[in-house]
Amino acid sequence: MPSSTPNKSTTRGTTDSPKKNLSQSQNHGQSQEKKKPAPAPKKEEKPAGRDIRGFFGAGAAKPSSSTPTSASKNGSGKKPITIDDSDDEEVVKDRKPALSKPLSSTTRTSKHFASSATRKPIILDSSDEDVPPPQPAVSSPKILTPTSRSKPSSAAAASSKRKALVDSESEEEEAEIIKPAKKRQSIAGTGARASATTTTTTTNRGGKKPSYAESESDSESLSEEDVKPKSKAKPTSKKKKSPSPMDVDVDSEPEDDFIDDDEDDLPNKAKSKAKPKAASAKKPPPAKKAGSTGKEAKKEEPEDGVVEKKKPSNPNWRAAAAARSAGPKNPGSKEIPEGAPDCLAGLTFVFTGELESLGRDEAQELVKRYSGKVTGAPSGRTSFVVVGENAGASKLAKIKEKKIATMTEDEFFEFIRSRRGDQLDEKQVKAREAEEKKIQQQAAELEKREKEEERDRKRKERALEGTGIAQAPASAQLWTTKYAPQNLKEICGNKAPVERLGQWLKDWWVNYQSGFKKPGKDGMGIYRAVLISGPPGIGKTTSAHLMAKEAGYKPIELNASDARSKKLVENSTNIDNASLDGFFQGSGIQSTTVADVRVDSRSCLIMDEVDGMSAGDRGGVGALNVLIKKTRIPMILICNDRSLQKMKPLQSTTFNMTFRRPGPAEIRSRIMSILFKEKLKIPANVVDELVKGVNSDIRQVLNMLSTFKLSKDQMDFDEGKELVKLNEKNTIMTPFTIIDKLTGPYAFSKNSKETLGDRMELYFHDFSFIPLFMQEHYLKTNPTSLNTLSGPEQNLKHLELVSKAADSISDGDLIDRMIHGSEQQWSLLPVHAVASTVRPASLIYGSMRSTGGPGGWGPSFPQWLGQNSKMGKLQRQLTDIQIRMRLRVSGSRAEIREQYMPMLAAKIVLPLTQRGTDAVEETIEYMDEYFLGKEDWDAFVELGVDTMSDSIISKKIPTATKTAFTKQYNKSDHPIAFHKGDMFAASKKKIADDGPAPDNEEVFEEDEPVPDEPSEKEDDDEEVNNVTKDKLIKAVKPKGAAAKGRAKK
Amino acid sequence: MSLWVDKYRPRTLDELHYHADLSSRLRSLAASGDFPHILFYGPSGAGKKTRIMCTLRELYGPGVEKLRIDQRVFVTPSNRKLDVNVVQSNYHIELTPSDVGIYDRVVIQDILKEIAQTQQVDLNAKQRFKVVIINEADALTRDAQAALRRTMEKYMNNMRLILCANSTSKIIAPIRSRCLLVRVAAPTDDEMTKVLNHVAKKERFSLPSAAAQSILTASEGNLRKALLVFEAMKMQKPDFSGGDIEVAKPDWETYCAKVADSILQEQTAQRLLEVRGKIYELLSHCIPPTVVLKTIAERIVDKVDDALKPQIVHWAAHYELRMRMGAKKIFHIEAFIAKVMM
Repeated sequence: MPSSTPNKSTTRGTTDSPKKNLSQSQNHGQSQEKKKPAPAPKKEEKPAGRDIRGFFGAGAAKPSSSTPTSASKNGSGKKPITIDDSDDEEVVKDRKPALSKPLSSTTRTSKHFASSATRKPIILDSSDEDVPPPQPAVSSPKILTPTSRSKPSSAAAASSKRKALVDSESEEEEAEIIKPAKKRQSIAGTGARASATTTTTTTNRGGKKPSYAESESDSESLSEEDVKPKSKAKPTSKKKKSPSPMDVDVDSEPEDDFIDDDEDDLPNKAKSKAKPKAASAKKPPPAKKAGSTGKEAKKEEPEDGVVEKKKPSNPNWRAAAAARSAGPKNPGSKEIPEGAPDCLAGLTFVFTGELESLGRDEAQELVKRYSGKVTGAPSGRTSFVVVGENAGASKLAKIKEKKIATMTEDEFFEFIRSRRGDQLDEKQVKAREAEEKKIQQQAAELEKREKEEERDRKRKERALEGTGIAQAPASAQLWTTKYAPQNLKEICGNKAPVERLGQWLKDWWVNYQSGFKKPGKDGMGIYRAVLISGPPGIGKTTSAHLMAKEAGYKPIELNASDARSKKLVENSTNIDNASLDGFFQGSGIQSTTVADVRVDSRSCLIMDEVDGMSAGDRGGVGALNVLIKKTRIPMILICNDRSLQKMKPLQSTTFNMTFRRPGPAEIRSRIMSILFKEKLKIPANVVDELVKGVNSDIRQVLNMLSTFKLSKDQMDFDEGKELVKLNEKNTIMTPFTIIDKLTGPYAFSKNSKETLGDRMELYFHDFSFIPLFMQEHYLKTNPTSLNTLSGPEQNLKHLELVSKAADSISDGDLIDRMIHGSEQQWSLLPVHAVASTVRPASLIYGSMRSTGGPGGWGPSFPQWLGQNSKMGKLQRQLTDIQIRMRLRVSGSRAEIREQYMPMLAAKIVLPLTQRGTDAVEETIEYMDEYFLGKEDWDAFVELGVDTMSDSIISKKIPTATKTAFTKQYNKSDHPIAFHKGDMFAASKKKIADDGPAPDNEEVFEEDEPVPDEPSEKEDDDEEVNNVTKDKLIKAVKPKGAAAKGRAKK
Repeated sequence: MSLWVDKYRPRTLDELHYHADLSSRLRSLAASGDFPHILFYGPSGAGKKTRIMCTLRELYGPGVEKLRIDQRVFVTPSNRKLDVNVVQSNYHIELTPSDVGIYDRVVIQDILKEIAQTQQVDLNAKQRFKVVIINEADALTRDAQAALRRTMEKYMNNMRLILCANSTSKIIAPIRSRCLLVRVAAPTDDEMTKVLNHVAKKERFSLPSAAAQSILTASEGNLRKALLVFEAMKMQKPDFSGGDIEVAKPDWETYCAKVADSILQEQTAQRLLEVRGKIYELLSHCIPPTVVLKTIAERIVDKVDDALKPQIVHWAAHYELRMRMGAKKIFHIEAFIAKVMM
């Protein structure tokens, strides 16, 4: 951290503190005042100390420690304070008025914990650091010594013990810790001035500070950081136990003592709980440090580490994850700072935990805006860690280990606000200079090349003069061609694969001669072809061409603009007449061409966009594969996605080489040099943003920039973002991601910047599906708006929301009907978007609730579709059943289903379950009576619900019965109410086969009456009936019977 | 081996057991030679179709009972093929256009024109016209109903329409005014008892009045249901012993009751999700959504406090209407349940 003079801030800090003190002293008990007739100077000093405490507490912030130090010392001994500190102070100052007072007791509790760690520094400074501020010197040193000594010893013991008994009982510790506390109390009681006590306590705690200061300013804030999250975690328990002290902002001395006890005792008692333990554990080390020298303090750190490791033993991951997904607590509560441009240049940030007002993404964008870097995990190179609430334990440990500076959100803001733009250390400056130099160099090279080309072109032009062939000047070329890499060095990213490709091309001839038997070092020796795959715009084709040229080959390219069907591939490459093979034997007499280009031994075939060989190129891949197996020149195949089904054949015959998207860092310098050359001024961070925005598609970045150049010569961060947005590939999101986006935990939070239009836009990605997804999903969230409620109230509110959402969805369906119904009111689509999607989402947005099913997380595919098609299918079957039964039954479909089926089931289904095989005969009789076939019986069973449901029934019918039923059914002929179209066609054919049948239909008709009907129940009633039935109810045994009938006739 | 309900179905107007005046009017209509278009309406199980068939028999003689079923293929303007099952005799044709959903207009247009444009060729036929029976006329879309209007007047020479519906409310006024409305009311308890006793006599046993009473309550004025229940009961307890006879509820009704119970048991979003699954099951198994909603609502009303009853009924009606207007029924059922839970 670059150091700067904290003067300004210090003074401010001091001015502030007295004010606070005043109010505080007013606030709390006069009793203390009475007890200790503190001299005026002392008083003043005391307040300062208190103030500091309040400070830390209030902010729940660590860094405040620096304020006191600086305040008391007035810059005397504490040089090592860093910029950080100064910034912190300012932040604190800002915060004080706003936060410290209004804060509820909870925060204060946390403050207390924090304060235990943070408070001390001031006094420590005074005592240890030989630069005692005038006023405090009198009182504090005196009492300080005894207390600090006594405490250190015990505390040290405690801590060491703890070390030993990491897992052991808490009781022992408790006892030990209580002791020092008691001592302190007694001191206070004995008439030592109350103020003294405070100071002592503070000293004890503050003991930590010097050591930290000595070790490193970073670590100091670090340790404090550690304390904080823990303390915050369990404020409730604390609160209950020691409410009074907490409520009073800065406590009077006796109270202070009390608190100390509390802090020591309570946590220990609660040790079994993971979190309190940690907090208490935290305490002792500082105490020990107070008495010990800096060295000891350093030793302490590892201990801290140990203690800390204990803590994360039982982290509540679920809760943490849920909290994280819930987003910032007070979104937008703080003003987002505006800093000098590039003010974070060269700094690397890591965010951990939840910040109070910023979402993670916003915070990262903020850093990037000022040219800072954001990484995921803290490492040695991290300059700052911005720590929020519930920070990850492992990260904290790492921070501790690496001694990285930490800051809170407020400090982070203040840091941005205060930092000047050009604060770079020498190294960074140098690095930057070097980079710039490099860029310029490259640009110069480009320029040179361009000039050469220009000259070349001119020469050619002159030569071609009169022929009418004109070549475009370089300036008229696309940037992508103009600045295509000319050598290996200029290729961005994918160095390793490109080099391998080059090597393979170089070795190809050797491998060819050995018959592709030797795999070689990297196993590429056995392949005649290479398949390069990777996303668009990352230089696959360019690399292939470049490497082919570099290895001395003459590339021949075939791409999607060439037809590459099987036939064409075969013909154009002469696979069949083997001339490709024959060429070499003939030593050039009969040459081969591919796509009208002469092929010789130095040719290299580049098949671009292989996965684009689609409809028109039938069989192309297969033919290509054949070609690969025989080829006598190297082949490079290029595709985007090699996992496609149609690429399968190539899998075994080619070497798979995957190109990855290069990172922004790999592209940056190249782009920058191009920009330099084109005199377009764009800062590096904007370039990074652009590159990221288009997913590292270099081609697209260049195209974007070249268009941008037409209008402007400069670009700032926001313009860059806009440009990216403008060029955003209009991807169709899947409904799954859309639903995620719409109902995510903070989709509708107050600081969400999406407008209604944006959300409706999501609906329009797929307006037939999204509403279904929404309907499927809306019951599966834990609405964010209910986070503050619990128990029955929450449930009630939830139902209220759900009901509103359901109503809205129901509205949506009505609108949908108007759109898709006869009215075709397509202009209602936006209304539908709101009613069916946006409004429900706005009501129930929140984290997803596991529904217990498999893959319970994440939106699921709408059941409606499946259920609807199932309904359609069963509906059809029911219609079939109904129409078959129609000759006997008058009911409509619904009546059949509702009334007949339960009854009929008792006749044709249940007997099979109860009496098994015996019931088969009877069942079949009934079925014949109603003209139901075997398939209808199956459908019949399928239509049942509840106790009659398909699965239950089929379980109840023994397999033997089923087979007997089927057998029996097939054995005999059955009356059929009518022939469905397909059946009719089949029987027609049969008849036709049997003999000459001039008019099939007629023949068929006439057949009917002949066979004796097995189901003539009706005729007992009436003659007429009998006659009619013969003719019209086609009691046909489809095949054999019909034939027989005819024969008889 | 038919079920009783089919076995003892009346075949002529004379055999009908109730609504005697209606029967006589139909008979005189059939005899008059000026047979109008008729719209039969009445609750399910009241005997509409039976009466229609009897009327036809009166018109044409026993020939109308020679039924055959055909499957006709229609092609929609969008080239979709529709299979429609048609039941016909030489004298009439019966179809259920609502089987094909929103394409019913095509069916109506095609079939009616075809029939209307062909004259009766059977010289023995008693009437010059053919009769077209349209089942579930109240399920016809407005378009289809509109398509009927002109045809009904234009082809009066060759064709008469008999519409069969549960209620006239969904039939557009122009159609209603072109038809003779014939209301077939549900039989009264006495009439039903008469029918039940008739069946019992034919089956050669006597029906105790207690059993008859419980059948009547279970059947809710639906004679078809009554006869089916009657037979089921006979199967369970052949001698009708024991005054208290439990009438077996159909599978879907018990399932709806289960759904209602689970709604009352717990009111959470999670439960609603489970209920949704069950409703899906009911709907996909061809239980009409209206029936589902009604059964569930009735069951809930049975069980809740009096103060809540009117509200539940109100919301049930509210969502039932929306359901009819909308396309995706379950959305509305779900909204209703959510409302009830709230």
